[in-house]
Order: sequence, then C-alpha cells, then structure tokens
Amino acid sequence: MPANTPAPIPTPPVKIRRGAAKTQPARHRRKQKRRNPILWFLQGLVRRLFFGTKTAFKCLLLVPILVFMVAFSYNVDRSGLFQGALAPRRIVDLMLEGYDVTNFEQMDERQVVQLYAQDVPEAPEAIGIGSSRVLQFNRENTGVESFFNMGVTGADVRDNMTSYYKMVSYGKTPQVLIWSLDPWVFYGSEAAFDSRADADLYNEFLTKVLNVPTDYEEPDKVELWRALADPAYFQGNVDYYVKNHGQATVTDDEGNTIEFNPVQGDPYEQTTTIKRSDGSVLYDVAFRTQTADQIRTLAAEACMSFNSVHMEGFDAMSETQMQAFDSFIQYAQSQGTTVILVLSPWHPYLYGYLLTEPDNHKGFFQVENWVRQYAADHNIPLYGSYDPECIEGLQETDFFDGLHCSGTGIERFFPGVPQVLQDLQNNTLPDPLAVHPRTSLDTGTTDEETAETGDGEPAAESSADSTQEE
Amino acid sequence: MTITWEQILAFLSGDQTMAITSLLFIVFFAATALVHYALPRIARPYFLLAVSYAFFCYDPANRPLVWVLLGATVVTWLCGLVIGRVRIKAVRIIALLAAILGGVGVLIYYKYWNLLADSLGGSLLSHRDNLLAPLGLSYFTFAALSYTVDVYKHRCRVETNPFHYALFVSFFPTLINGPIERYPQLRPQIQKSRRFSYNRCAGGAFRMLWGYTKKMVIADNLSHYVSVVYGDPAGMSGPNLVAATVLFAVQLYMDFSGCCDIALGAARILGYDLIENFQAPFESRSFSDFWRRWHISMTGWFRDYVYFSLGGSRCAPWRHYLNIVIVFLCSGLWHGADWRYLVWGLACGLISAIGALTAKSRRRLDRYNLLYRASWFKSLWQIFCTNILFCFTLVFFASALYNADPFAIYASMLQGWQGLAGSWHQITALIYDSGIDGRLPVVLWFGCFVVFAVEHTRQNVSAWVRKQVWPLRWTLYYTAAAAILFFAAFGQSAFIYQQY
Repeated sequence: MPANTPAPIPTPPVKIRRGAAKTQPARHRRKQKRRNPILWFLQGLVRRLFFGTKTAFKCLLLVPILVFMVAFSYNVDRSGLFQGALAPRRIVDLMLEGYDVTNFEQMDERQVVQLYAQDVPEAPEAIGIGSSRVLQFNRENTGVESFFNMGVTGADVRDNMTSYYKMVSYGKTPQVLIWSLDPWVFYGSEAAFDSRADADLYNEFLTKVLNVPTDYEEPDKVELWRALADPAYFQGNVDYYVKNHGQATVTDDEGNTIEFNPVQGDPYEQTTTIKRSDGSVLYDVAFRTQTADQIRTLAAEACMSFNSVHMEGFDAMSETQMQAFDSFIQYAQSQGTTVILVLSPWHPYLYGYLLTEPDNHKGFFQVENWVRQYAADHNIPLYGSYDPECIEGLQETDFFDGLHCSGTGIERFFPGVPQVLQDLQNNTLPDPLAVHPRTSLDTGTTDEETAETGDGEPAAESSADSTQEE
Repeated sequence: MTITWEQILAFLSGDQTMAITSLLFIVFFAATALVHYALPRIARPYFLLAVSYAFFCYDPANRPLVWVLLGATVVTWLCGLVIGRVRIKAVRIIALLAAILGGVGVLIYYKYWNLLADSLGGSLLSHRDNLLAPLGLSYFTFAALSYTVDVYKHRCRVETNPFHYALFVSFFPTLINGPIERYPQLRPQIQKSRRFSYNRCAGGAFRMLWGYTKKMVIADNLSHYVSVVYGDPAGMSGPNLVAATVLFAVQLYMDFSGCCDIALGAARILGYDLIENFQAPFESRSFSDFWRRWHISMTGWFRDYVYFSLGGSRCAPWRHYLNIVIVFLCSGLWHGADWRYLVWGLACGLISAIGALTAKSRRRLDRYNLLYRASWFKSLWQIFCTNILFCFTLVFFASALYNADPFAIYASMLQGWQGLAGSWHQITALIYDSGIDGRLPVVLWFGCFVVFAVEHTRQNVSAWVRKQVWPLRWTLYYTAAAAILFFAAFGQSAFIYQQY
C-alpha cells in the first residue's frame, strides 16, 4: 500500500470468544496424544445411538395423541371413507345387533352388503346371493341359524360374484353359498348389467381371482390415508360425535336425519317393507296378503316388461358368461364353499305367456337346460325351476307378483341347507336332468297341459284377456 | 397391502408448497434434524445449506427464482470479500454500493415494480402481472445487506467460506418469516456446530409446539372474525370494527410471533440460537418501547442501518424527529408496495416522534398526576394507552391486508353503538356468525390468557418449560397438542408476514 494513502488502517476484526478469556500465561503445549480413530468413531456412534434412542423414546410418548386421532377418525368416519356411508352403517349396525330395520325402499342395498361383509364379526355358515328373487331365503327356510342373505335388488352377475368375493376378501368365507341364478347371469350384453353394481370391484375380482385381464387399476389409497391423518377430518368427526352420541335419531354428514330405525312391534304386521336381520326382506303386510287375482294382475303387468329386466335382446347365452360362471363355481369350491344353485320359479301366468312367444326369449329358455346339464356334470346341488309347473304343489299364492316367489313357495322346492348337505354327502342329490322345463308350447302334450294357467286357461288367451281388461 | 415410497411421498406432498404448519414440513424437519446430528459436525453446515435450498425449491413457483437467492448470496459475499480484503476506500465504497444497490434493486424489482409503474403512469415502466417474489425475499436481502454493511463498518470479519455465508443467508427456518439475522450472531454457531443436547432439542420442540398453538389455535381462529369484518367494513357497525381491530392486533401478534417461535424452536433443535423477535410487546408502557419489543430484528435492522446512518438522535432535534419518521416510513414500505402501509409507517413515525418530542414535558406533568402515585395504575394506564395507539394505527395495516378503505373504517367506528350490552351483543352475534364454533371463544380467551401469562416479563418459553417438573411439563406438551388437535383452524397455513 502506498505510504500516502489517506485511508485509515482498518481496525482489526474482533475475535469472537465463546468462553472466558485466558488469564494464565501461555504454557508450552504438550503434544496431544493422538486419538485412536476407531475409538473416536465408536464414541461418536455410541453417543448418537444413546441420544437417538432417548429422543425417540420421548417422541414415542406423544404418539398416543396421533393414535387417538387416527383411531377416532377411523371409527367415527363421518364421511364414510373407511367405514362406509353413515346410513348403511347404521343399518348394518342394527342388523348385527339382531334388529330388523325399517325403510327398506330407501336403502342402498349394495352398500349394506359391502358393510355387512366388512363388519360381521364371524363368517356366516351360509349366504345367499342373487337378485330380489333370492331375498325370501331366510334363516327359517334355509334351516341355518347363521345365514345371511346378500341378495340385492336388480343384481346382475357382477353383484352376485362380488358379494361372495367380498366375504372371501374379508376372510369370512362361508361354508355354503346359495346362488339364486337369474337368467341374465348368462347374458353378455351391457343390457344385462345394473348400473348400481360395483364395476371396479368386479374388475378387481376378474383380474385378481379369475385372472381375466380387465382395465382394473389398484385404487389409490393415498387420499384415504390423508383423511385419516388429517386433523381437520378429526375435528369434523368430533363435532359429529358430540352431536349424535347417545341420540335416538342420528344424522348424516350434512345434518339430515337418517331414517333407518329398528322395527317396533311384530315384524309381520308392518305397513312398510323391512329388512330382516338375516338380510332377507319382509314385504309389507298388504303386499304379502294379496289374493290370487291381484297377484295374477301383477304377473300380467310383468309380461310386457319381462325383457326389460336385464334381458333386452337376450337371444343366446354368452360363451364368456358361461366361462365366467364356471370359473366362479370353481373359485368358490376352491375356497371350501359348497355351492347350491337355485332356480327361482316365475309366476305360472308369466311363464305361460313367455311360452307363447319363444322367439322373443330364446336366451331365457336356453338357460335352465344348460344349468341343469352343468349341475349334473359337476355334481352341484340344483333346486327349483324357472318353470313353475316343474315344482310340485306350487300355487299362485306362493308368489307376490310375476317375478318373486314367496317363502312358502321356496319351501316347496328347497329342502333346507342341512338336508342338501346330507344328500350331497350321501350322493342322493336329486338328478337335475330329471326335470324338463317347458321351452315352447309345441313340445308335446305335457307342454300343452302345462301351458295352461292355474285357472286352466291358455296363457295366451289369459294374456289377451288381461290386456283387454287393462 | 404393500406401501410404496411413491405412495408415502404422494401422501406427504399433497400440496405444492411446504407450509410450515403442514405435516410435510414436520416430517421434512424431523428427517433434517436426524441426519444433521448423525453427520460429523464439520459437515453439518453444508448439509443444512443443501436442505435450505431444497426447502426453497420445493415450491415449483420458487424454482425459477432460486437464482435470486443465489445471486444475492454470491454478490454480497463477493462484495464483502472485496470490502474486507481491499484497503482502498474507494473500492470498498464501490463494493458496498454494489451490494446495496443489488439488494435494493432486487427488492424494487420484485416488490415495488408495479407500485412504481402505477405511480409513473406507465410512461417509463409497464405494469407486470403475475410478478412473483421469491420466498423470504425481504428477509434474506436484509440479512445479506446487513453483512456487507457490518463488514464495511468493521463490526464483522469477512467470511471466506462461501458455503457458511450461504447458509446464513438461506437458513431455512428464517426464510419464511425471519427473524432477520446478523452474521456476527450466527457465524460462530455455523463455524462450530453444537453437539447434540437433549435439553436444547426438547426446549426447541416445545417452542415449535408453542408457536403452532399460537398460530393455529388462536391466530387462525381469530382471523375468521377479522376477515368477515374487514372483508365488508361498509356493512359493519362501529363496535364490530373496533373489536375486529383489537382482535386483529392479537391475531397479528399470535400469527407472527407464532411463526417466529416455530423458526426459533426449529433452529434451536438444529443447534442455532436466533434473535428473539418479540418481547411481550403488549406490556410496553410507551409507543417507542412497543417498537423495541415488536419485530425486534426488523426494527433493530432499521435502527442500525438507517436511523444511525441518518444521524440518529445525535443531531438537531428536528433531524432527530425526522429520522424517526423516515425509519418508520421505511418500515411501512418494507411491508409492501401499498400506500396504506406507507401511511401506517407515517402514523407510527409521527406518534413516535411526538412521543420523543413530548417525553420530557410528559414526565414533568406526571409528577402532578395524583393517580400516578399508584404505580400499578400508572403501568396499566400507560400499557392501555400504548396498545390503543398501536391498534389505532393498525387500521391502515389491516386495510392494506384486506384491501379496505382505512378512512371509511375510521369514520364508521363511531357509528352503530347501542350501549354496552347492545354493542356487546352485536360483536358476539357476528363472532358466532363468522363460523367460529360455539366453544371456541372460551378457548380463545383462555388461550390468550395463557400465552400472555407465560410470555409475561419476556420469558423464554424454551428455557421456562425445561425448568418445570416433568408432570407439569408433559401436561403442557399434551395440552398444547390437544389444543391444536381439537381447536386449530386447519387449512389456513399462510402466515401474514410470509408475504412481506
């Protein structure tokens, strides 16, 4: 630096001392003993492990708060993310407590089935699957105390298979599966499907169980976890719990009253349809006590709309659906489940009408014979028949309408699960091929006779009459 | 069911930003602390530097702006190196000016561009839409500027290790809300990382918990009511406007000091002591005392680098008072490019200047005030008056925040009073209508009481809690955690001071 530089010499930087200044004169430094690097490393490691463990232990003491939050959110679950929607949950809770539940018409039956499979503590001995035509199977006519009817209104093949699959996937595989086969199970068209069915679950079943390739993708659980760990969701659950705990009527997430309650009084005297605790349905007293004429009128009304129930354009059985059916039966048997097939009859009037126009119901008329052949080939118990004439003693009053056979009707062709199992064991099952359902009016004298309704009138004439009356 | 890393990451990174109140931040911080203490001490600053930049870049909006942080760091470090190594005064001054102009230039570009463009009527500068400022711009530029000035003034040795310096500028707990650190305070801590201390970590963790409670339970719940009132001031009655202004003061304190508690606690866990930003400001007995206790790092910065540079109080009285006003104007401008902040700064400056002007005469008059003979009354009255003045000026601040007309609010404050009971009814009715749960006012009252009681006489919460017996300590931990769980307002993660 030049000597004439006007800039002052900067003050020396202040040394920052972390401890007290040394007052003793400097002594000769003793040569420090060199530390053993391995020992030094081990000391560091032990120190870190000690403090790490100590800190982790103290942090663990706060974990109960998180556990409480997660457990509370999971159990209250006001949005039904984990436990299912609040209304079906209430229904299932009541059913599991042994109550019959009111307001069947408003139920989301598929949700109820889903939640039942999830929440039932032990696997029922027998379950029933199918459409509303299976819903009259109950503990009494199956002869099984531990029975649950998983049938749902309008069930298609996807509903049927996923109902059973749910039980298996929750580790509650039943010993006996009663499958009330509806003809549209073998129809491959979109028309055979019900929009309410869980298509994703069915795809999961096909992909995971039957190894049938679908566009199924594993659902993203991240959103669910986020809700579980979300304190805002916890607060919402606290609010909900405070409002509803101990109340006679409970509300849903939006504060609307949930109208599903235990049946009061005699269940057989109810003015509305109720869901029994075994999953079966008990129609209201007026519907159950109709006269034969009233029932026939309903059956006549069903004639015109017969195909519209999942069978529009059902000309032939689908090869794919038959394979799916076979795969499902094998799957159920591989799970140790005994499958019992049931063909629930149609009202004589309705069946007689169908016989008058076989070309419009080709697929329908193929189903029963195929099923019979299949049952015979695979030694599977098969009971009932679509053709009411094939069931001995079946009356018109054993129906509620054209489609739904009552409990008394079921008792005419189904001997009960214990008897079926015994017959199966003794190899004394009735021969499925011994029954010959009518598939057209010109199949011989027997057919001519059976084409008459209970009143002895030809079905076609009766139909025409009823149409004129309408 | 197998859980993949992708799912865990997706679970944690629900939002694009890493809010300091989010689960992601807590996991991020815990992992950082774990690795930090597992590393040898010499490597820790480098690791923290990498983590700080990762924190900055987590938000995709910030990633293109990382060069601002990097540039501010490199430029000020190089300038500091020149200032500290070169003895030619002219060069040192040039380097200092370069650093200051660079820092101020970045601030102007990202914070005040549109204000300038609008003020100039678009003739010289055009308005720029969607001009995003990088995270913590005001904080890291002020910290970097303080370093160069300190080096120039020989208050700080030049830092030869650019990574240590970069950590000082970008230290992630201070990036969001400050405090604005000084290098002489942080340097020894960076150069020699502390050994792990359980007590320090436990104290730091409680400090964070305390901050979360203040922010999420009290501030965020109060904001429901304040935002309703300030969102539509024209439709509000006088009692509600007054109540909202008072509650805004409490909200602002709980929000800002809560975030500072989180930052200080986090830094403490990592072995760093930061500047305390608040010291029981609502117990101040004069307006100037209030500003010595509120946002200490910022007021201290303006005091050291603006007020003293202008001559401070060692000049003619009128210059002294002018200096006070200028400092507060700068403070107002620092908060944002809005005339209401500027007027707020001006109002605070004028009140402070008048306070300084009348200090002696007031002290003389106090001798004749009989009520002042009771010291408790004197204290209470002075505290009351100070807080009233603060709340009075805060109308400008809140108006800027909620885009309201402050003068209309002042005018409306006198209207709609219906006696004590009627006015109280108006306030409580609106509080419940604003979405605050029925149980919450009690919680808020109690919460404020507990916070003010614990922070009374400038207590350090971290140190205080470690002195308690373990049953009380753990009761406090659980109480604070439960308060957050049950009463916190979730989903309002942004801090008020985050935007400055």
